[in-house]
Amino acid sequence: MTLFDSKNQISRRKLLAGAAVGLAAPAILYRTRAYAANPVIKVGHVSPKTGPLAGFGEADEYVIAQIQRLFNAGLQNNGKTYTIEIITKDSQSNPNRAAEVAAELILGEEVDILVGDSTPDTTNPVADQAEVNEVPCITTNCPWQPYFFGRNGDPAKGFEYTYHFFWGLEDVIAAFLDLWGSSGADKKIAGLFPNDADGNAWGDPKLGLPPALAKAGYTLTDPGRYQPLSDDFTSQISAFKEAGCEIVTGNMIPPDFANFWSQAAQQGFKPKVVTIGKALLFPSVIESLGDRGDGLSSEIWWTPNHPFPSSLTGESSADLANGYMEATNRPWTQPIGFKHALFEVTADVIRRTADLDDPQSILEAIRTTDLTTVVGPVNWAVGPVKNVTKTPLVAGQWQKQGDKFELVVTANKHAPEIPTTGEFKLLS
Amino acid sequence: MSAATYTISRSTPVSRAAAVAGLILCLFLAAAPWWAGRADLRLMSEIFLYLSLASLWNLLAGYAGLVSVGQQAFVGFGGYMLFAFTMFLGVSPLLAIPIAGVLGAVVALPVAILIFRLRGAYFAIGTWVIAEVFRLVFAQVSDLGGGSGTSLPIDVVKSIAASRSARESTSYWLALGIAVLVIAVAFLFLRSRQGLALTAIRDNELAAKSLGIDIWKTKLVVYIVTAALTAATGALIFLQKLRISPDAAFSVNDWTAFVIFIVVIGGIGTLEGPIIGTIIFFALRETLADLGTIYLLVLGLVAIVVMLRAPKGLWGMLRAKVGIEFFPLARRVVKPSETQDGRHGK
Repeated sequence: MTLFDSKNQISRRKLLAGAAVGLAAPAILYRTRAYAANPVIKVGHVSPKTGPLAGFGEADEYVIAQIQRLFNAGLQNNGKTYTIEIITKDSQSNPNRAAEVAAELILGEEVDILVGDSTPDTTNPVADQAEVNEVPCITTNCPWQPYFFGRNGDPAKGFEYTYHFFWGLEDVIAAFLDLWGSSGADKKIAGLFPNDADGNAWGDPKLGLPPALAKAGYTLTDPGRYQPLSDDFTSQISAFKEAGCEIVTGNMIPPDFANFWSQAAQQGFKPKVVTIGKALLFPSVIESLGDRGDGLSSEIWWTPNHPFPSSLTGESSADLANGYMEATNRPWTQPIGFKHALFEVTADVIRRTADLDDPQSILEAIRTTDLTTVVGPVNWAVGPVKNVTKTPLVAGQWQKQGDKFELVVTANKHAPEIPTTGEFKLLS
Repeated sequence: MSAATYTISRSTPVSRAAAVAGLILCLFLAAAPWWAGRADLRLMSEIFLYLSLASLWNLLAGYAGLVSVGQQAFVGFGGYMLFAFTMFLGVSPLLAIPIAGVLGAVVALPVAILIFRLRGAYFAIGTWVIAEVFRLVFAQVSDLGGGSGTSLPIDVVKSIAASRSARESTSYWLALGIAVLVIAVAFLFLRSRQGLALTAIRDNELAAKSLGIDIWKTKLVVYIVTAALTAATGALIFLQKLRISPDAAFSVNDWTAFVIFIVVIGGIGTLEGPIIGTIIFFALRETLADLGTIYLLVLGLVAIVVMLRAPKGLWGMLRAKVGIEFFPLARRVVKPSETQDGRHGK
């Protein structure tokens, strides 16, 4: 036809069309495969594997390979065996890219279920795409307030297609208070909250740390939201020194904390307790601080000592962590448990769905989930708001044992099923 | 022969054929919702949006010599205006897009007056600083989510059209429409009297000035038109993304570095260059993005190789060898006997 008859002339438009068709071809191939004789259920997964949030995705390769091996054997649903295919995409730690790959998974791969994890920059754009494109979506590894309110969620209405499991700010506040209460430090707190999704939620004057701390009898010095990737914390440090703060808390990214902590040393600010969310999760960060990393404390969402076995493999949390450490020669990290749990929930939903061709039926199975995963119970019938359910949270401290840092659980008042593994020590 | 028997020709047989083929292709692409899948529509929309950003940056840097590394200021501004007008004033998203464009032009004026005092590398850094100022300002607006960002309410998205397929087609047509509009504006602008002035400035600013061209005014017009269309494109981009945050809206990587890559690879200072560059960029991204950091290394390598081997971009190299031009912008003196083949009369 007109587009192809004049063969000797290459018009730029034809080149464009050719490229567009060429790029689209894989999508068409996938689509035909989805309806092949051997039924396949596709699970799309989005997480940060490169960029500043790469620590969260460090264990992806290992965990997903392990799960995919299990899924290759197939899952039973209504007496029929389904093969499960996981397609994982890198968000590059960029919310724009997260939205784009989520849309690719939904529209191109036509995934049946979309899952995502790690920080609001991943969970929120992924869930937004799922909600608009009407695909069932499960996310984790982001406190529920930035997930729910950050997406303009209305507690009365909730969302239709998107579900989330993790803990919330009220849990982290309770765990921190538990940790500090037994520490013996003065009740004067320094707050460091950045102007980002987590920082705004944690420092929120109504829903965040400030009102809870006041109620528990602490005085908070909050110098206001700082811009992430700041290189100067002098004004904050002098405000904290003036107020005589003995405890430092907040939610920071690792480079900001490293800056703050070395400037605190230079300027002679010596708090007795430093409990920071997000920055102190990964062993690599603590090691990079050298001896100054000893004694820092953090929230703990999962450890190899969690008493829950995997519903998928039957192995204990310790087995899961050891398997990772043996295979990669790297220390365990907390996201391992949540990544594993995310696929535990997915497998459980696929097994229980009445009609896997119907998204509404998949949603019904998500809503009626009642499963104990390696990170604890997941059940959307009980939760602070619709679409959200919570897993247990404890707090603890990095302690140098020999030449290695261990994350020790020291405060478990609100989740006594998770055992403590050591005593809290004040910073020298 | 007297000079009167010579004529000036702008179009060539190749460009006339390209115009016809281009028109047919536009119609073919406009019909995509009937022949393409949902994923293809989405990918093509993204291609068109990048194409318009690249064409706009090319107009700015390639023709007006305004090497801006801060165009993300207008992308993000347009995106935020879309969110503000739809969420707080209940304006339809379709109307919010042109509003974002107009407001983009309005803010571009004081920005231009400020940064036009800078030249060369200082201008480039100045534009980046302006973009950072925009980012920090929007990070303070708590009604728009502050530093956390916010999502477009589902009701707003659904107000575009009731059914999902109608929504997807509409957003595809908007993306195609803006790309066609941008290229048409650039083409008509360059063929106009102003465009001739611009081409003169591109080739030699001092000579152009001595011929009486008002350089400042010409550049100002280009800057403002580009800002308006960039803001409208930004509104469309974030209508697709559904979520905005300062870091995403004012991302120098996504909205400027990739765009410069596209233009440099394709060929700066030509209308065809950004089109070729966009195709190459997306071909690389679709095949390599799953490789993580290797993908970015490959992009860098491609940029270095092209800059060394073909400093005028791939289209520039092709044009130097074959001498074709799909967009008739050059003027040729044609002898009366040689009206058919304008290519050699240059």
